[in-house]
Parts: sequence; C-alpha cells; structure tokens
Amino acid sequence: MEVSLKTRLGPIELSHPVINASGTFDVLSADLVLEEDLFDRFPFSAYVPKTVTLKPRRGNPPPRLYETAAGLLNSIGLANAGIDAFIREDLPRLAQLPVPVIASVAGESTDEYGACAGLMEGRPEVAAVELNVSCPNLELGGRALGLDPERTHRTVALAREATSKFLIVKLTPNVTDIVEIASAAVDAGADALSLINTVHGMALDRYHLKPVLGHLSGGLSGPAIKPVALRAVFLVSRAFASLPIIGMGGVTDGQDALEFLAAGAAAVAVGTASFRDPLAAAGIANELRKLMQERGIGSVAELSGLAQR
Amino acid sequence: MDAGLIPANLYECPVVESRQVGAYRQVSFVAPEIAALAQPGQFMMVRLAGKSLDPLLPRPMGVHDVDSDLVKMIIDPVGKGSVALAGAAVGDRLSVLGPLGCGFDLEGAGPAVLVAGGMGAAPLTMLARALAARGREVACILGFKTRSQAMVSELYRDVHVEVVTEDGSAGRCGLACDLLPGLVEKRRGRELPEIFACGPAEMLAEVARMARKHGARAQVSVAAHMACGIGSCQGCAVSRSGGYVKACTDGPVFDAEDLQWR
Ligand SMILES: Cc1cc2nc3c(=O)[nH]c(=O)nc-3n(C[C@H](O)[C@H](O)[C@H](O)COP(=O)(O)O)c2cc1C
Ligand code: FES
Repeated sequence: MEVSLKTRLGPIELSHPVINASGTFDVLSADLVLEEDLFDRFPFSAYVPKTVTLKPRRGNPPPRLYETAAGLLNSIGLANAGIDAFIREDLPRLAQLPVPVIASVAGESTDEYGACAGLMEGRPEVAAVELNVSCPNLELGGRALGLDPERTHRTVALAREATSKFLIVKLTPNVTDIVEIASAAVDAGADALSLINTVHGMALDRYHLKPVLGHLSGGLSGPAIKPVALRAVFLVSRAFASLPIIGMGGVTDGQDALEFLAAGAAAVAVGTASFRDPLAAAGIANELRKLMQERGIGSVAELSGLAQR
Repeated sequence: MDAGLIPANLYECPVVESRQVGAYRQVSFVAPEIAALAQPGQFMMVRLAGKSLDPLLPRPMGVHDVDSDLVKMIIDPVGKGSVALAGAAVGDRLSVLGPLGCGFDLEGAGPAVLVAGGMGAAPLTMLARALAARGREVACILGFKTRSQAMVSELYRDVHVEVVTEDGSAGRCGLACDLLPGLVEKRRGRELPEIFACGPAEMLAEVARMARKHGARAQVSVAAHMACGIGSCQGCAVSRSGGYVKACTDGPVFDAEDLQWR
C-alpha cells in the first residue's frame, strides 16, 4: 500500500513529519564535521536552529550535561550569539537548506519576545517563528514567563502584533495545567504549539552528593520524559482539535513518532536521539513509513489523533 | 589546533580484543576509515550498538592508538557509560562516530615534553610516536594515583617514560607536574621544549602556569561532558576569556594560553 508521509503546519508543507528540536542539531557545525553533505541530504523535513535572544547569552557554567536513566539533564542556559549575529551570519547559509527554516526566539523580558519576532518579519528565509517561552525572565527573577497563563498571553500577543509569520509557541511542561497555558497562547494568536520543552530536574554526584550541574538544576530530555510529553500532546490536542501540534520529548524511533502522531500531533521533533546518531531522523521517518504501511494507515492526517477517537 | 576538517562518519565496529591493563580496560575494534584518518589528540563518540536506551548516549573516547585496520581506546570504568563500554566483549558491536575534534598541532620544532595524568596517558601514546617520527626529541612524564593505573605506561613503546605515582607504589612518589620544572629548566639557555598535556583539570592548570612562567608553549587536551561531539548541543563548554568555547569542535586540544585557568 502507498503511504504518504506528507504533513503540514498551517501553510508550511513538510515532506515527512520528522523535524528537529531546537538546540539539539546545529546544521552549520554538523555539516563541517560530518562527511554527509547535509545541505544536499537533510534528515529533517524542517530546520529549527537553536533559540536566539535579543542580546548574546554566554550560557551557564559547566558541567552543563549529565546522563540519567534513559534521559539527559542539561543546563546550557540558552547560550547563543544573539539575534543580530543569527541574522547576519547564520540565516544566509540556512537559506540554502532544502527545507523550511523555523526560527526559534526568546527574550529575557516580555518586550524582547516582541522585538525578536519583529526582526523575523520580512525575512523570506524564515518560514515560521517559534517562541520559546522557557527562557529565564529577568523581570520574574529568572523564572520562565511560560509558567504563567497571563504572562504567556501578553507575550504571544506582542509577538503576534510584531509578525505575520506562522507563529508557533513552544510550551514548558513544568506547569500545573498545560491546557490552561495552551489556551492562553491560542487566544493570543498562536498558530501552532510545540510540546514539550524539557522537564525540570536535578542529579547529585554519586560520590560527593552535591548537584552535578554547574547551574545546580537543569532540564530533562530523552526517552525518560516521553510519557510526560505524550500526555501533554494528547490533552492539548483534545482541547484544540484543529490546532497543529509539534510533539516532542523522547522521540527515538518510528514507534515513538507513530504514538505522538496518534496522540494528536501533526509533526514530531527529534532532540536527544540525534546525539545517539546525528542522522537518526532519517531512520525514524523510514520506520514510521513501515509502521503505517503495516497498519494500513495511508496518511499522516489519517493517523493524527487516532488515540482520541 | 590542527584543522579538524577530517570528515567524520558513524560506523558500526566489531570488537576484536578487550583486555585489562591494570585499572583500565583496553578495547580494540575494527574501524579502517578512522584508523586511516585519526590524528593524535582526536576523539570518537562511542556506545554499544543497538537499541538499548540505558546508557542512552555515546561517550567521548580518545583515540589511544591505531594499528592497520584497528582502533584502540582505553577506558576508565567510572560511570554508567564507561562501565558498559569496558564490558564490551569480543564480537560485540560498537557504534562509533569519528574521528572528531582538533588534535595536537605537530608543526613545531625542537624537543617535546609530554605530561599525562591518569587516563590522560591514553591519547599521548600516538602523539609520542608521531613526534618522534618527525625527528623531535620526546620525553614523557606519566602521573597516576596508584600502581594499577600506572600499568598503562607499558603501552608506551619506543619512548622513554618517567612514571610518578601519588602513593609511591610505582616509579617516583608525587605528581606528574613535580618533574616538569626539572625537564624545562635543565634546558635553560637552549631551545625551550614544547609541552603537550592531557589529564585532570588541576593538572592542566598547573601545566599552563608553568609553561607561562618559563615562556614555553603548552598544548593541552581538555576533558568535558559531551552529548553530541559535533558542535550541536553546547554542552561541552570550556572557559576562555570573554566566553566559552566548545571542547568538541574548537578542541579538545587548545593552546594553554587561550584558555581561562582558575
Ligand atoms: C542540549 C539541549 C539544548 C536545548 N536547547 C533548546 C533551545 O535552545 N530551545 C528550545 O526551545 N529547546 C531546547 N531544548 C529542548 C528540546 O528542543 C526539546 O524540547 C526537548 O529536549 C525534548 O525533546 P527530546 O527528548 O527529543 O530531546 C534543548 C534540549 C537539549 C537536550
Ligand atoms: S559535545 Fe555537543 S557541542 Fe560539544
């Protein structure tokens, strides 16, 4: 049977549902290191660069990584060279990619989100803007504004005013009621949601019994968080049936992708699994095709939301 | 350092030998492309092949040595990932991404002093041989905690090594850096040696301090927690004045004076 892996995020057509999660695949660096010509054969159906902020951020002190049971704790601290450097140095090269580019932006204040979104307006290289509302907010003593529905609403509304681009809001799971936050984002004009960012966590050094990470705590990713992510996708997609959702959190093989789509996602993002194999996404898309074939599911639209019905 | 623009690939490599060398495990696997390309100081991201999700990620492993089609690594089984790799048996398959990173710059002239602490001895064997092949005079100081760790010094063939242990159970008693001033100062008035070092952060800081004091160049290979090894995750940050650099793609070998030392 013929299976079509094509899917769409609003006006953006994707050749298959597997994109990358922000901050986990740097195509400009990977293309230099790997023999594979990534600009010719790109494993993802869209490219999401690492989140950029208005001003450069150094990031957190090392150690920034620690592996836990089937998971990875990180405290990178949104290290990035700032949005001006991104526009000047990265965007012209990213425009050469054979897939749409989704720019991920964040701010240290509500206004900075608006400013960053505005800077993406009128950039033909950018197909969509993803707001990462998990950036430490200086007005909130370092808490992320995505933890609060009212703040989320205000931030998304500002970004909505600043750009006519397809607007994706990426939510943090570290909240009491993810549907309430999702609702605030949608009310304020979000066109789609990404679910989920990393889960707050900590690890202690086995010997010294002190926090391992330089920043003390960090965000958990990988297979360990898949059930948390699946639940978020399921609940939000049930509440907003026609809203495109990008599901992520532990997607490692075709079965994981199948499950996220069944829970209601229109696409999935692969993060930590790319650290096991930088070209893992290509295998995941192939496995997904086989699994759909075996089950007689002809399209992503047919699969998406099966778990709800 | 040496331009790290040698193309890397992911390979599945069968283990052909695994043997205990004192406290450490030496594992050899078939990887013809990596064996042909790897430069001293480069590394690989290695895990057991297969779908097991625990351990989840590969671990950075220095290229210890190459021998025709074979690549060798030395493992200090201290954490979940390294214990799993040390347990790899002959016939098991490894997932290996490499060769990665910028290795040592071999272009200098004159004598070379190699300083290693513990596992830092692993990547320097290949370096010692490459420097000797370029006609440079090579002296090695290998420091260890104990005699069982010091057994890796037997893997240094054809080069003179000076062994130091913290507990005095093998070689001289003390730290690797204790011998460094002697080796540098005895050359006073002649050409200064270039220092190459790999080991724990405190040792590298001491090497950097001494190199600066004597006006010698020091190249150091740093260790960092890594997830990707290819510049994607920013997890392997190393302090440099004005910010961080990535150990995996900017290093792991740096000029000591380019880094910020505490
Ligand atoms: C090292 C690392 C860096 C990340 N950086 C970002 C980032 O800059 N922006 C962002 O929105 N999410 C970031 N994330 C979160 C991922 O995009 C993703 O939401 C999360 O890791 C869950 O997916 P996974 O389990 O497949 O990794 C990062 C995750 C990791 C592990
Ligand atoms: S290990 Fe990922 S950037 Fe260096």
